[in-house]
Amino acid sequence: MANSDPIPRDQAPPSDSEETNGADEISEEGEEEEDTEYEEFEEEEEELDPVRERERLKSIFRRLSTDPVHVRVHDVVIKGNTKTKDAIIEAEISDLFKKPRTVQELVAAASIANARLKQLDVFDSVSITLDAGPAELPGTTNVVIEVVEASNPLTGNVGVFSKPEARSWSLEGSLKLKNLFGHADIWDTSGAFGWDQSLEIGTGVWVPRFKSVPTPLSARAFLLSQDWLKFSSYKERLMGLNFGLLSTNNHDLSYNLTWRTLTDPTRMSSPSIRRQLGHNVLSALKYCYKIDRRDSHLRPKSGYAFSSTSQVSGLWDLRGLKFFRQEFDLRAAMPLGFWNAAFNVGLSAGAIFPLGRNFTKLSTSVPDRFFLGGHSSLVCSLGGPSSLLGFQTRGLGPNDMRRVLNLNKDEGSSVQSDCHDFVGGDLAVTAFADVSFDLPLKIFRDAGIHGHAFVCAGNLAKLSEGEIRNFSTERFLKTFRSSAGVGVILPTKFFRVEVNYCHVLKQFENDHGKNGIQFSFSSPL
Amino acid sequence: MGDSRSSSDRHLFLVARKPRFGLPTACPSCLPVYLYLKLANADFSVEFDSSFPDSDHIPYVEYGESVALNNEKGGVIELLKEEAILDLNAKHTSLAIPDLVSTKAMVSSWLYEAILYELWIAIGGDVTHNIYFSDLPWPIGKILHWKKIYNVKKLLGVTKVNCEERELEIYKKANEAYEALSLKLGDQVFFFDNRPTDVDALFLGHALFVLHALPETSELRSNLLKHDNLVKYAEHLKAELQLDSTPSSTQPSSSSKDASTSSAPRRKPSSGWGAKPNPKPKKEKTEEEKKFRRRAKYFLATQLVAVLVFLSLMGVPGDSEMDDEDAVDYDEE
Repeated sequence: MANSDPIPRDQAPPSDSEETNGADEISEEGEEEEDTEYEEFEEEEEELDPVRERERLKSIFRRLSTDPVHVRVHDVVIKGNTKTKDAIIEAEISDLFKKPRTVQELVAAASIANARLKQLDVFDSVSITLDAGPAELPGTTNVVIEVVEASNPLTGNVGVFSKPEARSWSLEGSLKLKNLFGHADIWDTSGAFGWDQSLEIGTGVWVPRFKSVPTPLSARAFLLSQDWLKFSSYKERLMGLNFGLLSTNNHDLSYNLTWRTLTDPTRMSSPSIRRQLGHNVLSALKYCYKIDRRDSHLRPKSGYAFSSTSQVSGLWDLRGLKFFRQEFDLRAAMPLGFWNAAFNVGLSAGAIFPLGRNFTKLSTSVPDRFFLGGHSSLVCSLGGPSSLLGFQTRGLGPNDMRRVLNLNKDEGSSVQSDCHDFVGGDLAVTAFADVSFDLPLKIFRDAGIHGHAFVCAGNLAKLSEGEIRNFSTERFLKTFRSSAGVGVILPTKFFRVEVNYCHVLKQFENDHGKNGIQFSFSSPL
Repeated sequence: MGDSRSSSDRHLFLVARKPRFGLPTACPSCLPVYLYLKLANADFSVEFDSSFPDSDHIPYVEYGESVALNNEKGGVIELLKEEAILDLNAKHTSLAIPDLVSTKAMVSSWLYEAILYELWIAIGGDVTHNIYFSDLPWPIGKILHWKKIYNVKKLLGVTKVNCEERELEIYKKANEAYEALSLKLGDQVFFFDNRPTDVDALFLGHALFVLHALPETSELRSNLLKHDNLVKYAEHLKAELQLDSTPSSTQPSSSSKDASTSSAPRRKPSSGWGAKPNPKPKKEKTEEEKKFRRRAKYFLATQLVAVLVFLSLMGVPGDSEMDDEDAVDYDEE
């Protein structure tokens, strides 16, 4: 008769110091289910037939994996941490071992605990052993967590990445110093150099928890220089601090205090950009909610994802930039049932509004507006409207004519730069549909190389400086730019490569759309 | 584009720094351009830029699709003349040109250096803050201020060793320029042929700035006040051009809108680099400054408290268990 009570005392599991007779007891038939106890597998004194022993162990494992073997955690013992504080490790796993009531649940909890501790990135290895509890407490177990702290706290890595908001890919390197104070703190210094002559240097610290705050905290100081001369006739330099206040799987809250300077060394900027040159302070709180239920973020075949990012700036007295910025991004994927194909759709929208009296007449800062264009992946990037294949980075939308140079006043000749400055939009909407499929050759399939066909559309509109009165939804929809194409995706070890042929279906005057082959590089992770 | 058209056919946009001290623009680089447009009876509008105090391209004038920047081809005035947009000197005879050019060179170099020295090195502080940095957050304004002082010292060749000598040299040249200009002007309304020229715009801008923006303790101001005809020339044109955009005293000897209210004794030449080359007596901060600093401190303190409260509220119940250094006992029964 099945008995869910704890193991009877006379058949309680032996303690570590006792000789193990449990094997004999367990081998008795007819009493295994009720009397099955969990014990650590120690060497037995009695010599058994190896075949019989194997059968016995198989039987035990079968029962442990299928039947509800009741057990209770008595104690959690942490070993191997010389530098890391016990409280840090306990905080990561404290909630996991209170609930399990069966061996199966305990094993699952142990694997989660193992993953969490490894995620701290301060241990070389983590092993969790389920040991027998005290003899006087039958049906209990001790969880022994043995960690090996990183022998070399200093690590470095170098990689090539492409960010959706950047013009091109960049070479990034970082140095990390782990667990300096025993709080699983990670100190890092990083530098990134972009192909477009952008440069970023930063240093920061990350802790998984700090005192009563159960979520990771981070602080970072950075210096970023970015060159937008080709598209918008300005160079941007940012210097500031970023504080990560709340970071969970779905929520992210951060505060950013940045000194931003826009300059135009070429002196060719348009009047709109010229008036934006100068110094500004960005004191902003940013909240991001993200949920990603897709089965893969590199090649999703099912699921959905949603992200919402809200940013409020203007927390520095009256002299900083004051605006509210909101982005939405919605994705969905569904399998098509042939050729490992999947259909992905996505819709992104964003808007920015200045804050203050008569806000409809105020202007927004150009770097905070939305820009569309570029070669970043439609499917992989999740973070607001930015990508529109077939169009150059910052290649469409509101623009202003650059400066005219009068070379020869007698003849009345003048030179006008053949470009306009793209000044960005206060309202942006993009949408795409993408079908990915395996390629016919097995060698491609084995390597993960697959093809895709896509169609995408997007548009920008200016709402600030009184333009909101002239805004018309009908005209906004009629002026949507669009493109379509096919391509091949090659996932390599160092980066993910997309080679696409794009055909621009609709563009307007001054847009920089171009038919042809485009390359895109992004992180393989 | 580029053809000779009268200024009346084209509306100009002047971007300059903001008004202060009863002047339409308080920046000594922007004021001459403003006055040039006024003297030329140009049709122009003014926009103010307060976010780029360390820029070289301000002031600038936009005309049509072109723009005349301050850091190109000798400045806005020279560009407007070159493009035949506005040329005050066009009607003057060729005989006056050499004299005009040399006078302009004297005003553009000696008096320009004197203004730079007086504003950034001798006086600095509240005057420069009010003109250039009052619309920026304090830390940024401070950093830019220091950067500008360093650049001015570099430009004028002022070092620890020679600061005293340099100061005497700059003031000496300024005095000589004032004397020469005073003799040149005499009782005339303008310097040349009773018609305005770019020299009038340049000197008028200098004089109005010195008389209205610099404090009473300024040596440059004291030197200029010795030449009555120059002072009268400046005030007369100020009234005629209707430059009074804000209510303020028109008497040059009265206190201007800076923070200086006390009558400090005349300065002595400085002898060291560590302190300011001309140690002026510290002016009392205005009520406005004190209020601003107090509010800034309260705001920073409030932000800090808000963040601390938020972090405290994020703590979960039972967090005190984590403080327990002993291993957690899971045997809850």
